[in-house]
Amino acid sequence: MKIERSNKWINHTALSLMTAALLAGCGSNQVQSPNPSAPADQTAASAGNEQGGELTYALATSPDTLDAGASGFAVSHRVFRNIFDSLVFQAKEGTFQPWLASSWTKSEDGKEYTFKLRTDVTFQDGTPFNAAAVKANFDHIFAAGRGQSRSLLGTFSSAEVVDEHTIKIILSEPFEPLLAGLGSGFLGISSPKAFEQYGDQYGKHPVGTGPFKFVSWTENDQIVLEKNPDYKWGPPGADNKGPSQLDKITFKIIPEEATRIGSVQSGQVLVAETVPPQLITALNNDPNIAVDQSITNGTAFSLYINTKNEPWNEIKARQAVQLAVDVDTIVQTLYLGTYERAWSALTPGILGYDSSLENKVKPDIAKANQLLDELGWKQGGDGIREKDGQKLILRYLDGSPNREKRNDIAAIVQQQLKQIGVQVNLNITKDTNTPITNGEYDIFGNSQVKADPDILRNLLRSDKVFTKGGTNWSNVADPEIDELLDQGASESDPQKRKEIYAQIQQYMIDRAIILPIYVFPYTVAHSKKVEGLKFDLLGYPLLYDVTIRK
Amino acid sequence: MTGTIATRLLTSLLVVIGSSMLVFVIMFVLPGDPVLQMLDGNATTPEAIEQMRQQLGLDQPFYVQFMQYFLQLLQGDFGASRIDSTPVLPKILAHVPATLALTAVSAAVSVLVGTILGVLSAIHRNGIIDLTARFVGLFGISMPTFWTGILLLLLFSIHLGLFPIAGSDGWKTLVLPGITLGLVGAGFIVRMVRNTMLEVISEPFIVTLRSKGLTERVVMYKHALRNALIPALTMMGVMVGELLSGTVVVETVFARQGIGRILADAIMSKDMPVVQGVVFFTAIIYVLVNLLVDVSYSFVDPRIRRSQ
Amino acid sequence: MKETTITKPLGTTVHLHRYRLRRLEPSQFFLFGAGLVVLFLTICAIAPQWVAPYAPTMIDPTNLLQPPSASHLFGTDYFGRDVFTLVVYGSRDSLLIGLASVVVGGVLGGVLGAISGYVGGLVDLIIMRFIEVLMTIPGILLALAIAAALGPSTLNIILAIASGTIPRYARVMRSSILTVKHRSYVLASRSIGSSEFRIFWRHVLPNSTAPFLVMATIGIGTSILTGSGLSFLGLGVIKEIPDWGTVLSQGRGYLTVAWWVCTFPGLAIALFVLSVNVIGDRIRDVLDPKKSNGSFTGGS
Repeated sequence: MKIERSNKWINHTALSLMTAALLAGCGSNQVQSPNPSAPADQTAASAGNEQGGELTYALATSPDTLDAGASGFAVSHRVFRNIFDSLVFQAKEGTFQPWLASSWTKSEDGKEYTFKLRTDVTFQDGTPFNAAAVKANFDHIFAAGRGQSRSLLGTFSSAEVVDEHTIKIILSEPFEPLLAGLGSGFLGISSPKAFEQYGDQYGKHPVGTGPFKFVSWTENDQIVLEKNPDYKWGPPGADNKGPSQLDKITFKIIPEEATRIGSVQSGQVLVAETVPPQLITALNNDPNIAVDQSITNGTAFSLYINTKNEPWNEIKARQAVQLAVDVDTIVQTLYLGTYERAWSALTPGILGYDSSLENKVKPDIAKANQLLDELGWKQGGDGIREKDGQKLILRYLDGSPNREKRNDIAAIVQQQLKQIGVQVNLNITKDTNTPITNGEYDIFGNSQVKADPDILRNLLRSDKVFTKGGTNWSNVADPEIDELLDQGASESDPQKRKEIYAQIQQYMIDRAIILPIYVFPYTVAHSKKVEGLKFDLLGYPLLYDVTIRK
Repeated sequence: MTGTIATRLLTSLLVVIGSSMLVFVIMFVLPGDPVLQMLDGNATTPEAIEQMRQQLGLDQPFYVQFMQYFLQLLQGDFGASRIDSTPVLPKILAHVPATLALTAVSAAVSVLVGTILGVLSAIHRNGIIDLTARFVGLFGISMPTFWTGILLLLLFSIHLGLFPIAGSDGWKTLVLPGITLGLVGAGFIVRMVRNTMLEVISEPFIVTLRSKGLTERVVMYKHALRNALIPALTMMGVMVGELLSGTVVVETVFARQGIGRILADAIMSKDMPVVQGVVFFTAIIYVLVNLLVDVSYSFVDPRIRRSQ
Repeated sequence: MKETTITKPLGTTVHLHRYRLRRLEPSQFFLFGAGLVVLFLTICAIAPQWVAPYAPTMIDPTNLLQPPSASHLFGTDYFGRDVFTLVVYGSRDSLLIGLASVVVGGVLGGVLGAISGYVGGLVDLIIMRFIEVLMTIPGILLALAIAAALGPSTLNIILAIASGTIPRYARVMRSSILTVKHRSYVLASRSIGSSEFRIFWRHVLPNSTAPFLVMATIGIGTSILTGSGLSFLGLGVIKEIPDWGTVLSQGRGYLTVAWWVCTFPGLAIALFVLSVNVIGDRIRDVLDPKKSNGSFTGGS
């Protein structure tokens, strides 16, 4: 049956292809096309779209839970963004617009936010949406306490129901990133009745106010959502405001790359995520398939040097590494021009990104060698430097499997550092938590997704070391930086915030604490029948506006 | 004979219990903090970690944990996953059919392909057919399964569009994974059937049958093959374990549901209750298949039936 | 493209076979080819620098994913490394993994099986129940558990692979010992007053090793395959000079755009395992033509 359908589909697409070719004019294939479906193309095509249809979307990994407040994984967000709405909506430019909250005010001291809620919203299980429901969500987060939700709430101290449709959030300290957090899917609002009904199994039975209702989750196989017919509170960023055009969304979990991409090529699914760079060109040549790339925001994938371990506690030693690693070559070799190289800890799309860092660090082997000479590391017999009988070793920790070719970055860095007499010992393992807990690493790569530059707090503040629940991989402990991070979180003037975060970013490069490598573009391949696929500020897909051309 | 089966069932039960106890010990002895694994990148405070450890009873000494586990098992309580707190039993039961189907199809492919090639190879001993059959058989066991799987998938699903790529709905999704895994077993069976056939052919009763004027076809397929099937059957019993192991990789390549993937995930995240549960089921499958193999001997070879 | 590379060795075999039909029996030809492959790859493993044209770590960004050519016989990979060189150097760790895990698993299993078979009685009962229990645990479980818990290193991978093979060696060894134990020469030796140790060492063991050796030979190939499976599941060792399994599993994403990156390492594995199996088969025929299936049917 499936085969039959795909045959028909080939006939259809043959026709639509010709139209598309005419519309496109010149048929040049761009490898890097953040959003290939030009607006003109979209309107022309959507005229022929019909209601209904099932969107099949192949995911590379499985969500851990669909309880928004309990997950920390991007893949979970991709699924539950369709089930849950948030209080506010953050546009691509970073500004905030009303969504489930129709308006809000911030107190003078920045410690109280009062939200007026929409009065016409109900949860998918019929429970009315109101201030008590929102409060129940905060209670749930602080009771269950896993995932990203807590850190997004920052200095949250309590929530107060002012009246049926007004809620007040009280903070212990001013916390500027609050709205960005509330706009995130990780703080999507769940039905309080469902919390009670399902208890600790809520993560398998999510109920929100979003455009799609949860139907089923078959482990390692698929997650099925269906249209919420009563939906009429679409976010400001969407074209649609009423119920979705789709009847159903099925997320298929297909871990193996060849299988996942193959399933979109053969027409068995309509969308497949995480397209590897080497296949992008090939897929762009496929007349039935379009490739969309959306830059994710937060921190760029960077290598964090552990400043606690000798000899990498010495700034000169770290600078030698910084000068010897040729990031352009790495990014070009591995991503074939499909990923952008990063220059700073933050991604370019985030508030406070410091573009003055671009092109600041250039590879310079001679200088790197000189720095190591100055520190007394002498060239040994086997080409590896030595000092006091000790070899110059850099322990490179990375996770397995080879996500985004990060293991391959390690392999190239290993060869590049050999040129300056540094021996890189690779530790590529499933369990990175144990070596990190024990401090057995000199360099570790990481990237994070978040909408606010306050993300740096968790990476740099002296109290945010891993064993205390943070992600300060570099073990930075500098009172001045702590101070700046606190200022950044509480400052409400965007201009001043930018300056603060620029200082912090420069500090990280000047002190050679991190080596920024690439900015990750979330890449999906989809059938050209799928239209209206959008991505939010963080690169998460938005499926609400999607239609399927028959 | 019923008495024998009853004894076998009883010892089988002991074996199953023994195997889950052994796995408990192995998983306990191996390093790696289960609580740290559970965090999986979601860093929390040391206090929270300690609290989690207490909640799970992981702060208890080995013998206490072991007794607790064992008593629960005797009551048929498999516990709940530490990762997503789903009860283990329904979790596994949801995945067992898919794995059983895959294992069964692979076993069928193994026996079918293996026997055909083996017989051909024996009949045309040392000829070109023998050579080819053995080569094909050996090739099956010489390729990593993930590699065979990806190649089959690219060829038959993507280029030719004959089979669905991924998933576990319907018989069509079973074809390629079944072949991938079945080829491995086929390789062993070819050799086995060939060698036994050669032995059987040289036995006196075959000579007698021939001299009675039976056609070569009847001699070969009715009498010789029947005898040659016994080792192939035994082989199946041993191979169930291998096939179950193979499902881990094949289920991942073909994005199938199944206990193989559940097991791999659970081992890597040290999700003990799930590991225990899966082992319990694979042990039962293993034991049952071997029991069946023993019983089916008597149908293939009347001599065994009489001797019992 | 894939088809030609896979059928090529088969094609050559058939052709040569016709050419030498009168001189060489097909199975002998098979064996000859297998011997050559094993010999060549062993040389590669011992002294890769004699065979490989380039350095295995040479990363060349200007030469990425080049198809096979005169200067790069097997093409280049996504680092611009020469794939032929990788295959040659990869043989070292692959063969090491294969051999060492057979030694570890074989020694442990063999000793258990020998004790069980020779001593008999309660010891036999206990060991065999233990082995039976061990057999119900899928080999991959032990391998995964050990590899995941001990972390990636070649030694740990060897232990991981070996652990799952113990029962089969134990069973083979036990069943051979059982058959030999009551042979007349053993009884004769005992009647003239030889010590038990001497009987075991001089008479029982040497006459029981045939099926065990066959299984061990074939086990080299199987271990390499298990190792590549672990790489596929993300538990392999990633080193400066990768083994075949790692090259194959890391390169599999390039199959549709640059088939040569993983086809050649894949073929290397297949050819090597195939050859080892052919040789194992042959040893079986030579050593013990009558009991050629004993290795698998043996046991309680």
